[in-house]
Amino acid sequence: MSLPRFDRLSGNQKLALLAVALGLGALVIGAPQRGTITINERELAAMVEGEVDHVTPDELADWIVAGRQDFRLVDLRSAADYAEYHIPQAERLAITALADSNLARNEKIVLYSAEGIHSAQAWFLLKAKKFPAVYILLGGLKQWTDQVVFPESPAESASPAERIAFARSAERARTFGGAPRAASASLAASAATAGLSAAPTALPKVAPPAAPTPAAAAAKVKKEGC
Amino acid sequence: MSADSPAARRPPAPYMNPYLAGIGLGLVLLASFVVMGRGLGASGAFTSACAVAIDAVAPAHAQGSSFWSEYLKGGVGHPLKEWLVFEVVGVLVGGFLSGLLAGRVRRTVEKGPRISTRGRFVFAFAGGVLMGIGAKLARGCTSGQALNGGALLSAGGWAFMMMVFAGGYGAAWMVRRQWL
Amino acid sequence: MNAPFFKFGLFGDEASLIVAFVIGIAFGFCLEQAGFGSAKKLTAQFYFRDMAVFRVMFTAIVTAMLGLFYLAAVGWVDLSLVYISPTYLWPQVVGGLLLGAGFVIGGYCPGTSVVAVATGKVDALVNIAGIVAGIFVIGEAWPSITGFAESSALGRLTLPEVFHLPPGLVVFLVVLMAIGGFWGAGVLERRFANRSPKENP
Repeated sequence: MSLPRFDRLSGNQKLALLAVALGLGALVIGAPQRGTITINERELAAMVEGEVDHVTPDELADWIVAGRQDFRLVDLRSAADYAEYHIPQAERLAITALADSNLARNEKIVLYSAEGIHSAQAWFLLKAKKFPAVYILLGGLKQWTDQVVFPESPAESASPAERIAFARSAERARTFGGAPRAASASLAASAATAGLSAAPTALPKVAPPAAPTPAAAAAKVKKEGC
Repeated sequence: MSADSPAARRPPAPYMNPYLAGIGLGLVLLASFVVMGRGLGASGAFTSACAVAIDAVAPAHAQGSSFWSEYLKGGVGHPLKEWLVFEVVGVLVGGFLSGLLAGRVRRTVEKGPRISTRGRFVFAFAGGVLMGIGAKLARGCTSGQALNGGALLSAGGWAFMMMVFAGGYGAAWMVRRQWL
Repeated sequence: MNAPFFKFGLFGDEASLIVAFVIGIAFGFCLEQAGFGSAKKLTAQFYFRDMAVFRVMFTAIVTAMLGLFYLAAVGWVDLSLVYISPTYLWPQVVGGLLLGAGFVIGGYCPGTSVVAVATGKVDALVNIAGIVAGIFVIGEAWPSITGFAESSALGRLTLPEVFHLPPGLVVFLVVLMAIGGFWGAGVLERRFANRSPKENP
C-alpha cells in the first residue's frame, strides 16, 4: 500500500522525506564527536614497538636550533619546575588540562616531562583522542640535560667521526646555555664550571619563547573571516 | 553586451528548481568545509579591495588603522592574494558561465515598472551603503555569515540570518515602488 | 581520512587560492542557476511573491549541515578544525537589520551582486560601488564605534551549546523547521501571487 503512494510523491516531496530521514538519523547519532575515546590497541602497540612514538633530545635540539616553528612543545611538569627551567619554545600544560587544551589534531606535538613517564601517559591520552602526530621526548628532561645541555666528552679512544659529532654538540650546548663535560664529571661539577648557580640540577635561565608578532597573528586570524 | 547580441536574442531558460539549486549550493559549501576547513564569503573580498585602494592613496593612515591593517597583511604578501578575493573572481566567472548557458546574459537594469533608471541607481547605491556597513558589523554577509553560520549552527550566524529577513521585510514596504 | 584537507597540510597556500577560484565558480554558477542574478527575483522574496531566496538558502544550509554532521560522525572530518566565525551578538543583530534593509533597497547582497554584474546588470555595478562605499564609511568610523562593534563577544558559540541540546537533536529540529518553512512559503506565495517573476526571468 505504501509503495504506490511513494511513487506518486513529487520530486520535492521525496527530497523532503530524505531530509527528514537524515535528520532522524542525526537525532539517533546524537553527537558527531563524542567525549568518550576509542582505542585501537594493536595500532598503538605497533607504534610503540616501531619506535615512531618518540623524538630524541638530539633531534629536538636540532629542530630548535634550526628555528622550526611547525611543532608544539609541551612541558607536563609543575609550574614551579617550569619557571625554573624549561626547554626553549616549550609551553606548560598539566596532564589534567590536556582534555580542555587548544591542542589541535593538525599539529605536531612533542611532549616531555622530568623523566618521560608522564609524557608517555599523556601520549596515550592524546593518541586515544585520535591525534595523529604526537611524540614523546625520549628520556624526558633528564636526558635532554645529559645529552644536549651538558653533553659528555668522548673517551680517548673515540674515532674522528665521533670527535666531529661531539664538536657539533658542544657548540650546540653552548647555544642552550650549557657546556660539555668530561666523561667522568658529574652534573654538579659541570654546572659549577659553566658558572651556573650551585643547585645540583641547575640549568641556564631561559627567556620565554617569543610571542608571534601581532601582525602575523592578526594575518592568521583574518585569513578565515568572511 | 548590448541587447542585440546573439546571447541576448536566445530566449532565457527558466530558472532551476530552487531546491535543486539549494542542494547544489549546499554541496559547494560542504566542499569548502571539507577541503579548506572554512566556508564561503563575499564581503571580505570587497573589504580587501577597499583596503588596497585606501593604502594606495594614504598608506600611513591605512597601515596605522587597526581595521584596514588586518586586510593589508602587514606587508607580507599582496593583500589581494587572498582566499576570498580569488573566490569572488570565481563567482564572477561561474555566474557568467551559468548565464551564458541559460541565455541570461544581457546588459540591462533590473527595476520595476514604476521607477526610473536614475531612481533605481540611487536606491542601488544607498542599499549598497547600508549593506557594506551591516556586513562589517556582522562580520559577514548572507554568503559568509548566514550560509556558513547557518550550516555550522553558529548562534551569531542564526541571529544574523533572522535579522536579515526582519530588516528586509521591514524595509520592503518603503521601497515597493522600486519593484512592484 | 584527514579533513579539512588544507588544515592537515595536504596542500599549501598557493594551491588554496586555486581551490578558492574553483569553489567560487561553482558558487557563482549555482547562484545564477537559481536566478539570483536578478534583483527582481531576489526582492520578490520580501513581498511574499517568490520565496526562492528562503528556499535556496535553507536547502543549502540543511544540505551542508547534514553533510558535515555525517562526515564528522564517521570520523572523516575533524569538526574542531572547521572555522566558525565568533559570535558578536548585538553587532550581528544590528548588522543583520541593516543588511536586510540594504538587500531590499539595493536589490542584491554582496555575493549576488557579483553574479548580477557577470550577467550584465548595470544596477548591480552601482550596488557594488555602494557596498564598497559603505565598507569605507564603517572602516573609517570603526575606532569611534569600537565599544559597540566589539561588544557582546561570545566567541565560537553554537546553538547546541546555547540551548544545552545534543547537536543531533538541533540538526533534526532545523530540518523540521526548514520543511515546515518551505510548506509555509508555498502558502504565502499562493496568497500573494500577482505577476511573480517565479519561473522565468
